[in-house]
Amino acid sequence: MNKQGKKKNASSAGARARGQSNQRPSSCCGKVRPASGVDAGPLAWFNDMVDHCLDYAAAQKKQGKHIVGLTCEYTPRELILAAGGIPVCLCGGDEGMIPAAEEFLPSNLCPLIKSTFGYSVRKENPFLELAELVITETTCDGKKKMYELMAGNRRMYVLELTQKPDDPDALAHWIAELRKLGGVLAEQFGVRITAGKIRDAIALMNRERTLRRALAELMKAEAPPLTGCELLNMKSIIAGIPADLEQYAKALRVLPGRKLDPPASERIRVLLTGVPMPHGAERVIKIIENNGGLVVCQENCTGIKPILEDVDAGAGDLMLALAEKYFHLPCSVMTPNRRRLDLLRRLVAEYRPQCIVEVIWQACLTYDVESFFVRRLAEEELGRPYLRIETDYSPSDSARIGMRIQALFETIKEHRTK
Amino acid sequence: MIYAGIDAGSRAIKVVLINGRDRRVMGSGIADQGLKQEALASRLFDRVLKRAGVRRRGIRRIVATGWGRDAVTFADTTITEITCQACGVYREQGDAKTVVDIGGQDSKLIRLDTGGKVRDFVMSDRCAAGTGRFLEVVAARLEVPLGSLGELAGLATKPSAINSMCVVFAETEIIGLLASGEKPANIAAGVQASVSARIASMAGRNISEPVVFTGGVALVSGMTQALESALGYPVRVASRAQLTGALGAAILASRPE
Repeated sequence: MNKQGKKKNASSAGARARGQSNQRPSSCCGKVRPASGVDAGPLAWFNDMVDHCLDYAAAQKKQGKHIVGLTCEYTPRELILAAGGIPVCLCGGDEGMIPAAEEFLPSNLCPLIKSTFGYSVRKENPFLELAELVITETTCDGKKKMYELMAGNRRMYVLELTQKPDDPDALAHWIAELRKLGGVLAEQFGVRITAGKIRDAIALMNRERTLRRALAELMKAEAPPLTGCELLNMKSIIAGIPADLEQYAKALRVLPGRKLDPPASERIRVLLTGVPMPHGAERVIKIIENNGGLVVCQENCTGIKPILEDVDAGAGDLMLALAEKYFHLPCSVMTPNRRRLDLLRRLVAEYRPQCIVEVIWQACLTYDVESFFVRRLAEEELGRPYLRIETDYSPSDSARIGMRIQALFETIKEHRTK
Repeated sequence: MIYAGIDAGSRAIKVVLINGRDRRVMGSGIADQGLKQEALASRLFDRVLKRAGVRRRGIRRIVATGWGRDAVTFADTTITEITCQACGVYREQGDAKTVVDIGGQDSKLIRLDTGGKVRDFVMSDRCAAGTGRFLEVVAARLEVPLGSLGELAGLATKPSAINSMCVVFAETEIIGLLASGEKPANIAAGVQASVSARIASMAGRNISEPVVFTGGVALVSGMTQALESALGYPVRVASRAQLTGALGAAILASRPE
């Protein structure tokens, strides 16, 4: 852990101004518009997600809460919340941050890592500038080594994520890591993390996961009431904001029955898997949906993967309960990562996609190599066409990706008319 | 009824006209691609029509394909080159199971189902490695016309190992080889082998015979042999290898919607 270089936090006003210039929420799915007049309030609410998060972070800070950055779904947000922290996802989705990162990092590295680091170099992620602590894990090698550079001027804590998911020793070590993290948070923020606080945090996160899961499950319908882009857009980078939870609940009331234009029946149902698509890096999902697809399921860390399992708030050993939930995440850094294949089997049965599209950020070795198993599962076992797209944040290959998506859809339609 | 397919590729535009009754080819033409894509396609189309003695309004339906397909605004619809290639190759070689198409700026490998339907496909990603553009750069560097690259490669005694898959780096590598006194023939053979190896690795182990080779690069001498030795299967060059995409587009145009 690196304790040096604790930065003075940027004023929230300055941070906000920067946030507005650099983190504009992207409007999703330009061509695709809902047709019916049903209240689209919750969808519109999340168009201003970054602004809401900035307001919330500033207000919470004023009340003595601590902004804590995280860069991976393995970080248990519950522990941060229980320590009086506000967990914010720092994953970078902006291509514009990459050149600054490449002054320090190799260009042949995943764009997510470079963009996240570029924000740090340029001090342009207002949430990172507000953060008192950044919690990370030893996930992929690229991230792990980038954190060493980031630790030069940020207060960071690295959890050692063990990577043999079925090994009891690995879980035991992970539990020990979470206990240490609890100690670090308690010490840094001068609080006692009580079982009651952890339980409250678990209940809050369970509520958020339950709502987001229910939204994702709307896509199981023959005619889903929203697009994959819209669903992705309803993800907040700060967990547990009460106003967000209200909007999720409202969305669940108003969205069913909403009709898409073009209608779902004319689109190809797609299951998206692979790397996460952080805010600002939604390009591929837009290409899929603008070319006649409907992404009914997103098996990735910005989709359904981290919200499938809840934590037992009534468990006797809360640390164990937390550790288990997070350790079950089927990320490609795990070996072997059978849980991901099992999850794909289940999601294909539940969401009935007509094809599987895997997105791999360039130089993401673990997802790239693991795509061998995903393709085999898709084509040989599940009988679904599989398309692998390796790309980065630059739009230079959008036409090529679009062409491949179109060709995939043509093939599926051709076989349907057989 | 007459139907037209226009394949607006990155380096060349191809037009094919077919008769809807028997789907026989009534005319075809090839022109260089350029800046004014729509005008170039239109001019070529008119030329092919004139030669075939057909008027524009005699054309029932036009399908555009290829990278520039959206620029062909006078087409009735567009279909991707994957689907069109498969259809065109099926028409030319009905027993084909695998299509290797190497065009100006990308390479594709298409596996066919029965009836010329696409089973699956893989394509080269962002860069120009293993494409016609790559061979053009190399030919220019070795100061031979693209068409003579194979003849030059035929004189090789020991093909050079070209490792760079990036067209820019490969050029640098070739400059280095030339500087160290390597024979151009060895370099030419090495480049053809490296392009073919790229296709083979893209294919993985998913090759079924017969393999049919299409696209402009299929016409470059020596490439078929290089591809055969990389894939380990015999490779047939499609008749009308450069026109199969446009042919497929014309056939698809003639299908009831």
